[in-house]
Amino acid sequence: MIWESKLYKVSRYIFLTAACIFVIIPIIPLVFMALKTGAEYSSTSVLTPPKNWLNTYNFKYAIKVGKLGKALLNTAILLTISLTLQIVFTSMVSYVLHRFDFKGKKIVMTLFTLTMFIPVVTTQTVVFQIIYRMRLVNKMASVILLYSGVGIVGIYIMLNLLSSISKELDESALIDGASYFRIFRSIIFPLLRPACTTMLILNGIGYYNDFFIPNLYLRKDVQTFTVALYKFFGNTATPFEIVAAAILLGIVPIGIAYLLLQRYIFYGLAGAIKS
Amino acid sequence: MKLRKILSLLLVLVLAFSIAGCKDKAVDTSKKAGEEAGEDKGGKTDLSDLKGTTIKVYTHGGNRVLGEEKKDADGNTYRDVENTAFLKYLAERFTEETGIKVELNVVTNEDELRPFFQVEDDSVDVYTCPNWSLAEWAKYAEPYCTVEEGKELYGDYAAAMPNDGTYIYSIMPGKAYNQAVVYNEEVIKAAGYDEIPGTLEEFNAMCEAIKANGATPISMHRVENWPLATVQDFAGYVAGNANVFTECLKTENPFSEDAPFGKTIKMYTEWKAKGFFEPEQYTDFGVAMDSVAYGRAAMMLFGSWVVPQIQGRVPDGKDPAIIKFAPAPDFGAGRYVLAAPADNWAICKFSKNKEAARAFIEYIAEDAQFIADSGFIANKKGVTPVVPELYSIINEMVDAGKCKVLFSPATDDNTLANQEILEEAGLYADYKYVGLLFDSLDVTKPDDWSAYEAQVKVQNETYARYKKELGLEWK
Repeated sequence: MIWESKLYKVSRYIFLTAACIFVIIPIIPLVFMALKTGAEYSSTSVLTPPKNWLNTYNFKYAIKVGKLGKALLNTAILLTISLTLQIVFTSMVSYVLHRFDFKGKKIVMTLFTLTMFIPVVTTQTVVFQIIYRMRLVNKMASVILLYSGVGIVGIYIMLNLLSSISKELDESALIDGASYFRIFRSIIFPLLRPACTTMLILNGIGYYNDFFIPNLYLRKDVQTFTVALYKFFGNTATPFEIVAAAILLGIVPIGIAYLLLQRYIFYGLAGAIKS
Repeated sequence: MKLRKILSLLLVLVLAFSIAGCKDKAVDTSKKAGEEAGEDKGGKTDLSDLKGTTIKVYTHGGNRVLGEEKKDADGNTYRDVENTAFLKYLAERFTEETGIKVELNVVTNEDELRPFFQVEDDSVDVYTCPNWSLAEWAKYAEPYCTVEEGKELYGDYAAAMPNDGTYIYSIMPGKAYNQAVVYNEEVIKAAGYDEIPGTLEEFNAMCEAIKANGATPISMHRVENWPLATVQDFAGYVAGNANVFTECLKTENPFSEDAPFGKTIKMYTEWKAKGFFEPEQYTDFGVAMDSVAYGRAAMMLFGSWVVPQIQGRVPDGKDPAIIKFAPAPDFGAGRYVLAAPADNWAICKFSKNKEAARAFIEYIAEDAQFIADSGFIANKKGVTPVVPELYSIINEMVDAGKCKVLFSPATDDNTLANQEILEEAGLYADYKYVGLLFDSLDVTKPDDWSAYEAQVKVQNETYARYKKELGLEWK
């Protein structure tokens, strides 16, 4: 048994070390590239370290020419509004689906589930036409509208947590004269906090990295970070040393968010898995 | 039953109306296009009424708006706006002279415009996108003029502009010599050569000498398909016939080495087997261009458009004129260079400022210096061309009769039939790019040609099968 336990420990360390290497390796050439000059980048291998470790030219160029500051601000505004709306809507839908019985409930659930099987890209020809007719293309509202929608993954996370919240709490509140909205607002929603955090993390990272939707709907004035990054790509040639610097700058907000929300992220994800 | 009948009747009515609507629209569009083309034919339009109009121009040629990407003395990348943002300055002059404002936008490729054209968005007035199929041109571009009018203004070059036999959809105001050898003079001099040799044997010997000197003889940038588009034109040089790609349709085995096209692919494959191409894949076409600019590679096989870009990348302290442009060697049928129209400009079909858009394109067509700065030669009747220095070698050789000019072939039924077979057979990677034909290039090893033979056999069989299935023959 002791031998088994030691073997388990060793293999666990080997596996985790290998996993860390796999994650870190792509970032190393990225750092090397970002610190190289253009001439150095095109004449050396991506794994060759830079000559000057203090070369910040590419970072300054990326911020100034790529307007990355504005792009990051746009992304922050977009995520804040979208995620707030999405969490509120998803929790409301989940509350209704969990606590109330009504005609067509199964149909509603089936329809939500069906959306899981339709890739977002395939629907965009039609969705683009709708958003265009609504005159929302090139406006942040278009992406907010698309990101704020209720998704089935969010509903499942919320439904699982709602199952562990006793219905007696609702009934007591009802007896005390609380309305359904009051019950949701004052009792249910605060208890759904772990599920909300999970959604915030999962969708927040997804939306921050999303390129397809913002590139399709936001053309130039309200670029998100990923779209601003894409603008460095030319029709034939791309200055990848600048792109590398821009990518590293894009990692910074995510890193800060991780450091600040580390506790919530851990509990949020652990809660989601447990539920 | 009653409800069904009513529904059926309604459905028929809706269908009838929609068909009628489509017909009306189609008639209107073509009529209007004809009228507009006629209006402009007579001479210059009075632009005073258009003063204050803003046109939106979308171009994939970002270097002419944002400036060419260059390296400073420290090797850092920067945009040379002052000296190379030619379109930006042209637009400013146009606004000053006509009062029509121009908003320039850069797109990476045509995919960025497609969704907006699909909803008939009117926010694009003028655009440049070279890689569209004829069907897309007809769908998204206002007919610019008739083919006859085009011929009157641009000579035989008009036939090679995107057209359906009646209308030209995208006007190409420049002409250029495509494709040829873009080379770094210092590298070939170091290998003991002053110029690109005249025969294939000598060319191969030069490549060996360059390789022995530690440089890459030819930068191919094989990792992307589009750089291989040049093979169509090089096949023309191999056969001494510009129409050789389309003439694949004449044979059952176009990829065999006894057919001109197959012979060209074999020639490329031999170059690869001899180690003439870059040993490691370039991460980007910019890196491929840098390899020639910095002298790590000797040459590229490309059109004239790439010359100013490589010259712009030559390191500080060196003369950009070391990058030269010369005809390909004699591959057995003579020495040739291909003359083709250059630079696509189109008016968006959904634009509400078509007159101003046309005025802008005409302004471009008449600016010989702008066209020369772009690497082309102005070709419109009545415009005195400015010939860029990069053509000096080719011009001298053509004048001396050492090199013949092949004319870019017009798109006809045979061209379209050949393309259809290749597309259906899955041998076209992208529209007009023949990347998949180079599978043999990828599988061949220097000392083992069995994979090449097998690949050629498969490609021939596939081509013949689809040719038969589609019932397409040479007309």
